[in-house]
Order: sequence, then C-alpha cells, then structure tokens
Amino acid sequence: MVTREDVENIALLSKLFVPENELDSLTASMQEIIDFADAINNAPSSEDGFDNINNLSNVFREDEVVPSYPVSEILKNAPEQAEDHFLVRNRE
Amino acid sequence: MKYELVSGFETHIELSTKTKIFCGCTTQFGGEPNTHCCPVCIGLPGTLPVLNREVVRFAIRAGLAVHGKIAEIAKMDRKNYCYPDLAKAYQISQLYAPLIIGGHIELSNGRKIRLHHIHIEEDAGKLIHRHGDTYVDYNRGGVPLIEIVSEPDIRSIDEAKEYVERLQQVMRWVGISDCKMQEGSMRCDVNISVRPQGTEAFGTRTEIKNMNSIANIARAMEYEYDRQVDLIESGGKVIQETLRFDDATGTTSSMRSKEDAHDYRYFRDPDLVTINIPREEVDELRAQMPELPADKLERYTEEYQIPEKDAALLTKYRRISEYFDEAIEGVKSPKTVSNFIIGQIFRRVETESDKEVFNVATSPQQLNELVKLLDSGKIRNNLAKSTLEKMLDSGKKATDFISESDMGGVDENTLLALCKAAVEGNLKAVEDYKNGKQKAIKALVGNVMKNSRGKADAMAAEAKIKKLIEEM
Amino acid sequence: MGYIAKIHNMLAQKEISCAELTKEYLNRIESDNAALKAYVCVTADEALKTAEAVDKKIAAGEEIGLLEGVPMSLKDNMSTKGISTTCCSKILTGYKPIYDATVWELLKAQNAVMLGKTNMDEFAMGSSCETSYYGGAANPFNTNHVSGGSSGGAASAVSGNLAAYSLGSDTGGSIRQPASFCGVVGLKPTYGAVSRYGLIAYASSLDQIGPVAKTVEDAAIVFDAISKPDKRDSTCLGAKGGDTFSQLGNDIKGMKIGIAREYLDGVRDDVKEAVLAASEVYKSLGAEIVYFDLPVIKYALPVYYIIACAEASSNLGRYDGIRYGYKTEHYNGTHDMICRTRSEGFGEEVKRRILLGTYVLSAGYYDAYYKKATDLRGTIIRAFNDAFASCDVILAPTVPMTAFEKGHAVSDPIETYLTDICTVPVNIAGLPGVSVPCGFNSKGMPIGMQLIGRSFGEAQILNAAYHYQQAAPENFKDTKWGVKL
Repeated sequence: MVTREDVENIALLSKLFVPENELDSLTASMQEIIDFADAINNAPSSEDGFDNINNLSNVFREDEVVPSYPVSEILKNAPEQAEDHFLVRNRE
Repeated sequence: MKYELVSGFETHIELSTKTKIFCGCTTQFGGEPNTHCCPVCIGLPGTLPVLNREVVRFAIRAGLAVHGKIAEIAKMDRKNYCYPDLAKAYQISQLYAPLIIGGHIELSNGRKIRLHHIHIEEDAGKLIHRHGDTYVDYNRGGVPLIEIVSEPDIRSIDEAKEYVERLQQVMRWVGISDCKMQEGSMRCDVNISVRPQGTEAFGTRTEIKNMNSIANIARAMEYEYDRQVDLIESGGKVIQETLRFDDATGTTSSMRSKEDAHDYRYFRDPDLVTINIPREEVDELRAQMPELPADKLERYTEEYQIPEKDAALLTKYRRISEYFDEAIEGVKSPKTVSNFIIGQIFRRVETESDKEVFNVATSPQQLNELVKLLDSGKIRNNLAKSTLEKMLDSGKKATDFISESDMGGVDENTLLALCKAAVEGNLKAVEDYKNGKQKAIKALVGNVMKNSRGKADAMAAEAKIKKLIEEM
Repeated sequence: MGYIAKIHNMLAQKEISCAELTKEYLNRIESDNAALKAYVCVTADEALKTAEAVDKKIAAGEEIGLLEGVPMSLKDNMSTKGISTTCCSKILTGYKPIYDATVWELLKAQNAVMLGKTNMDEFAMGSSCETSYYGGAANPFNTNHVSGGSSGGAASAVSGNLAAYSLGSDTGGSIRQPASFCGVVGLKPTYGAVSRYGLIAYASSLDQIGPVAKTVEDAAIVFDAISKPDKRDSTCLGAKGGDTFSQLGNDIKGMKIGIAREYLDGVRDDVKEAVLAASEVYKSLGAEIVYFDLPVIKYALPVYYIIACAEASSNLGRYDGIRYGYKTEHYNGTHDMICRTRSEGFGEEVKRRILLGTYVLSAGYYDAYYKKATDLRGTIIRAFNDAFASCDVILAPTVPMTAFEKGHAVSDPIETYLTDICTVPVNIAGLPGVSVPCGFNSKGMPIGMQLIGRSFGEAQILNAAYHYQQAAPENFKDTKWGVKL
C-alpha cells in the first residue's frame, strides 16, 4: 500500500517537489505501478543469483597520474561560478 | 548511580595512493580549487569509474595491519544522498561485501577493540560557506578512503584516545596514509552511549560527526557523556541522532534538519565489477608487511630488556624503530643504543612530525660503529657521549673525532707506568688495601683513570695494580 | 549492397564529393526536419569541416575507410565535446560536454561526418519519443504516427534518409522498438560489447549503444566499428565473435531458430502473422524452426521497470543545478535550489521513474522489489541459457503492435510500458537482439521482428537477419523522404 507519506518521503529523498494538490493523484499512480511491479512476488523464489552481466571481475586501472583538466574546462558548464569554484549564490 | 561509557568509532582515512580511486587525477592535498579534477571526478553525465588497483592493495595492507580477514570477494555499492559536495549524488562505497572483515586494535591495558569491518570508498569535495553563498571545490572528490568501523568496545575516553593513536600509528607504519587529522586525512565519527555500571544492555547512542583532533574527541566525548548522564538522571531520554561538535563552546548540537531524510538506498554499483582477491596476492602482501609496532615492542622488551616506556618511544614511528634495528646490528647491548637514541638523538628531533620523519645527521651505521667502540672497551661512555654530540652536529663518523691514541685507552707499557706511579705515589692506600680494605683499590684505579684522562681500561688497571701490590 | 558501401563507392570513385553529399543531407534536414523532428541539433559546420578533410584525402589519392565521409548522426544522450548534449531534457539545457563518448571518438577517428544529434524520449525514458522536451519525432511512414522510442530521432532520421545510419541506445528496447516502427534495422548489442563511456546513463546495467541502419550490412559495419574494448568502461569487453560484416552470407542451413510461445501472447494478429511468415521464409532457407516455452519472461517487464528505475533514480541524482545544465531562477537556500531545479527541469515521466526507483530501493522495500528483481534477473538469464541449448537464434516480434498515433502513449503509463514486453528480456539477460523489418500492416505501417542471439553472438543474428533481408527485400521499403542515392 503506497501512502501519501510514502510519496512525500520518496519525493524528499529524490529532491523533487510534489505540489500538495498533486499528492493524491501521484499516490494513486504510484500505487498502480507498484501493483504492476508486485507481479514479481508471484514468481518462484530464485536461487540462480545475479552478480553482474558477463560475471566480470578484477577490472582495474594502474595508479598512474593522468593530467587533470584546466579549471576553465571544469567550470565551463557551471550555471554560476566565482573564484574558480562552482557557486550556489543564495539570493533570497 | 555510576554510568559506564560505551563507544564505537567510524574512522575515515585517506589513502596516499598517487591517484584518485576512480580516475587518474592526483590525490595531492591542497592545490588551487578545482585543478585536480576531470570529467569522472566531477561526475559529468556519461562518465564511468574504473577502480585503482593500488587502492585495493592499500586496503588489504590496512586489513593485515589490524589482523582483519581479507575477503575473497568484494563488491562496490552506491550510497545515495544528495549534497553539493558529492558530484554524482551518490558515494561509491561498500556495504554488502566489504574488503576486510573483523580485526582488532590492542590497547596498552590489554583490551582488544574489535573491528567490524574496513571498506573502501571515495571522498567528497569541499564546501566553503561565505556570506551565505556556497563555493564548491572538487579537488578532494574521489580521493580514496578506507573507513574502519569498530565494535562498541571502547569504555573510556582514555581508551578512545589510545584507540585513535594506535590506528594512526599502525596505518602510518604500513605506509598507507599520513593520517594527518589537521589536514583531514584522518577523521572520526564517534558513537557514544552510557549505561549504568554493571548492566549489559546498551543505551541509546548518539553520533558525533567529523572529529578532526584527538583533543576534540576527548572534549566532545566528555561533554556528551555528561549530557547523556544528566539527561537520564533527570528522567529524560537520549534520542538517537547525529551531532556536531562546536570547537569554540566545547558542546555538541543536533545536525538534524528536515532536509536530510537519511535513507541511503544502497545498491550494487552496476558500473563496477566484482573484486576477486586471490589468496596468493594476500600472501604476497603479507610477506611484504613490515614488522608491526606491537610485535616490535614485544621484541624490544623481551629480547633486549628495554623498559616498556622506552620501547614505546622507539616504536612510535616506523622510521625510529628501523633506525634502532639497524643501529643494534651486532652490538652487545641494544639498551645502550636505545639510551643514545632516546637520551641524545631525541633532543634534536623534538616535534612529533620530526620524529616521524626521523631525519638524523648520524646514520644508524655510524651510531652502530660508535657503540661497537664502546663495546670493545676502546672508548669510555663519557667519550662516546660527547663524540655522539659532535657526530650529530656534523654528520661525520666517530673515528673522525677519536684519535688512535684515544682508543684502546692506553697501551700496555703506558698503563703499567701509570699503575706503578699510582701505587708508588699512594702508599697509604696500598697499606689500607693490604690490611683488607678492598675499597682502597678504587682510589688507586681512580688515580690511573685521572692521569689517563679517562682513557685507560679500569678493569685492566685494577688487575695490574693488584699484581703490583702482590709483587711488592 | 548496403547504403554505407554504396556511399563509400560513390566517394571513392569521385561520383560525388563528400562536401556535396554532406550539403545534400544538410539541405534535406533543413527542409524535412520540421515535419520529422528527427534532429534536435544540427552540426552543419563540423560536418562540412570533416567532409572537406575527407575530400582532401580523396583528392590526394589516399584510400578512405568504409565509414569515412559517410553522413550519420548520434542520439542526443551521447557526449560530444563542445556540441550540445541534452538527453532531450530541459535539465541539460545548454550543456556542452568537455569530452567525447568513446563511440564518437571511434567514429570521429574514421572521419565519420556527424550531421547532428537526434531526438529521443527524455533521458531515454519512453517508447514513443514523445517525452522529449522538444516534442517527439515523427514516423516517416506516416507523420501522424510516432517514431517509437526512445531512439525515435535515430530511427526517423534513418528511415527518412536524413542520415545514412545513426547510433541509438537501448535500455529496454529503445533501438529495436523505433527501428521496428520506422521500418529499419536496429541492433542492440550484447551488454559489454560497446563502450558506455560518454553515454548519459539511464540504467547502467541495461544500457547499450548500437546502430540504427537501413540494411543489415550497414548495421554490421557500424557494429564492427564501435564494438571495441574500452579501458574507461569496466564492463566493456568489445565484440568477441570476430568481425560480423565478413560473416554475413555464411550458410544458415540447419540453423535452429527457436520461437518462445510466450513471445506471441498478446501480440496483435498482423504482427504475429508477419513473424510467423518470416519463420516460413527461414524454413525455406533450410533453417529448422523449434517451438519452446520461456515462462519466466512474464516477469521480465516488472523486473525491468524495477531495476531500470532503481538505477535511474541514482543516475539522475546528479542533476542539481550546480555543475552543468539548467538551474532554477528563484530559490531560498541550496536545498530549495536543488529541489526546484529538478522539479522544473525533469519531465513527468522522468520524475515518475525517479520516484519509483527511489521507492523500490528505500528502507523496507529493497528486499521485496529491488533484491527480488535482481534475483529474478538471474533466473531469466538461466532460462535463456537453457533455451540456447536447443536453438541458435530466437525469433520473436519486436513490438506487439505497429507505430501508434501521436498522443496515444502519454495517457496511460502502464499500457505504454506493455509495448516493451518483447524487447526488455534481452536487456535483462544482456543478450544481443536485432530488429528487422518483416512486413507492413493494412495501413502500410512497418512491422518488425526480432532475432535474439547468445551472448556475443552478434555475427549469428546479423547473418540470420541478412539471409532474411535477401529473401524478403520487399519488406525493406524506402520512404518518400530525404536523400535518394
């Protein structure tokens, strides 16, 4: 059972705002999808296990320094920046 | 009622690998903001992590240093939380299958603080808050960390302090981190609860986050212990929460806010594959491990009869103990070497960081030569001491200061002449000795020593004097 | 002959210059893209620059590679240095990556002429391309119908002759489904055959890049070019079955083609008939048809949505308005800024999947949903392994239906999810699958069939697809759009 509180909690965890007037419809819609997902609980319990596709292990890189990017590139897409930092200005 | 303190630590240690855990950027401390960054460590969309092999090896060394079990299979998980210093909004860490299981740190009172596990993870960037604005620097983002999670086995503030010191000592010792608390390369989260003395059940615990000095750990624990006891005594209840310590006021306060609902939603990181640790690799790393400080301490006290207090000083830093080990090669009394190091050399390396580096003008081989001269009776203790000072001043070897004539004290003929002079010039003492006053011989030997300026072999002189008196 | 080979020959024999060819494509994009909305970004200058370089080589008498100078496009979720890459989301408005995706690095090194970035469902979440922030791409067979998705722009561009080929990505059918809807060939490679480095993640354990092309030969050539091991992607091994193009035409007599009955459940009659007709074609080519049951695939869809959404909720956490992309105008503090940016920047479907993913990973639900779904993933993989003990290739519909009309998909999320029922099992099991046109419905809309192979068995399914293409060329019909060669 998906509750309004569940939806409020997962919205907070997801860093999304859900307007008060949409909470009920979203809860209903989530319930519908969860009912659909619940089908898996009818499946026989599995002992096959799953690690990763292709069962890969031990893929490493060596501890060798690769030059970093210039700070101008790093900050190129920043909506706001100052003094070579990413910036969150708190205006209000 | 008396209350017992119960505490467990989560200690983060930055590994001193050359590069970050998932990309080739340098791990160097400092640097201009956002200059140790690349698309991977600032989490640009589409980038993928590739695990640094050395991080796994460093963590295994950490595990071996605390007698932990090295897992055969380890996996990387994502710990999801959104915060501006975390570029991907998840930290790649380990929950379900960490690299190291168990282990312990033994304290000087004999108690063992058990470890739950050690896992590897990435560090976050740094936030600077100025006038309400937030500046973000990702240089530290992606620096490899190990997190050492202890069981709640700590029972006093002194134990807590020693636990942190021991961890710091052994992790520096095996060379995986500089463990500089002031630079943040070692940080502790302290879990603390209290319970009535003699009871078993744990009280509700609080967690003090991000402690960055041993002094503050002690202050915070003291404050938190009193706060919890007062709360319980006054009929209140401790709430499980995360606290921050205020350095200025010496108090703790809640970090909780409506904004951080904490549910990390750990799950296996699909971008990284399984870590399989062959036993041969563990054996190889084990074989490369240095002798650990606790083992050295035991060897120094038991084999060399060095007092525990001195042995602890010699084993505080790996470089000192290595210096000592090299300097005692083939000497009769390692304790003499210990005395020279602690009594004289330590005066020249006063700070802890100097002691850690232990950069001394005199090499352990040079000290070894000096002690061997002493052992062979060629020089006396006073001369050795003053010579060592000169050696430490100049970096030169002992024989640069001790002439051939200083050594072996005095030759056979000179010694005989000196003894004859002593006997002939102190007939009163000779008489006393003959009358059974054993001590009188010391005065005669003293005369020889004085006239040889301390160079003569006192034992040899005594024998010669006795012989001369008999022949009289 | 495939289109790539045709263009290559024209260039090599100087029948047309690369600049002329590129201009022709750019002109067609300019006139047709308004109707098809296949492209969301056109990179004319870069394309012409590359074309000139290719022309110089040709003029100098140098030999050129098969893909050299061939006009193509990339889905808008593949990072292209200095070129807008938005995943067709408002939240990546203005984002220009500072690095290239590995696939683009590989193709760029061969002087591929990139015409632009193609339309897609926002963050590849959708089956109609209509969740795109820019509006969905149209189906060149009937522009009132959707292109399919999420790689709708790629399929529309190739079907509409606005690119010789295109790279798409497939997480739950996002290459094969639009390829089926638009009457073109779409290959979803084995997980790990193609590097994901630079592909903006939707669901990391399911995502895979692959070609959308007009012919099987073209798909094979492109797959061969991009299926290389990559040190930057720990899960990438590259192709293991050798060069696929040179294996096209290998004998398929005695090849066992399996049909799992469950794949035909709930499939529209016209689609079912077309797929069964294709099986008859295979019989006539000497292959053997074997029927079998694959009951676990009935759990594939919920397993897919649980795993995909869980991974997506984590992958999409990074869009916070700090390092790149959209940032809200008015806010009160950092937390508020992040929440507003995300709420304004993501579309409804993306938000729905983030919330679902957060839910299935959250305390108290992890075991019942996420853990259970990954366990079932193991079961599904085993079931496919068992199936491949008795057949070489599995034949199935790509989609239970043909392209629907625009606006139909958005109304009911669950019904939309059901269109993925035939495509998701392959992603869950990490297997290769190729969608091939196999007929048309009564309204002239294309029908696609899917050939599924063993892990790293691209050569085998492409060869099977090639034989079908040779035997039933009438199903590979051209549209009225674009450049005619």
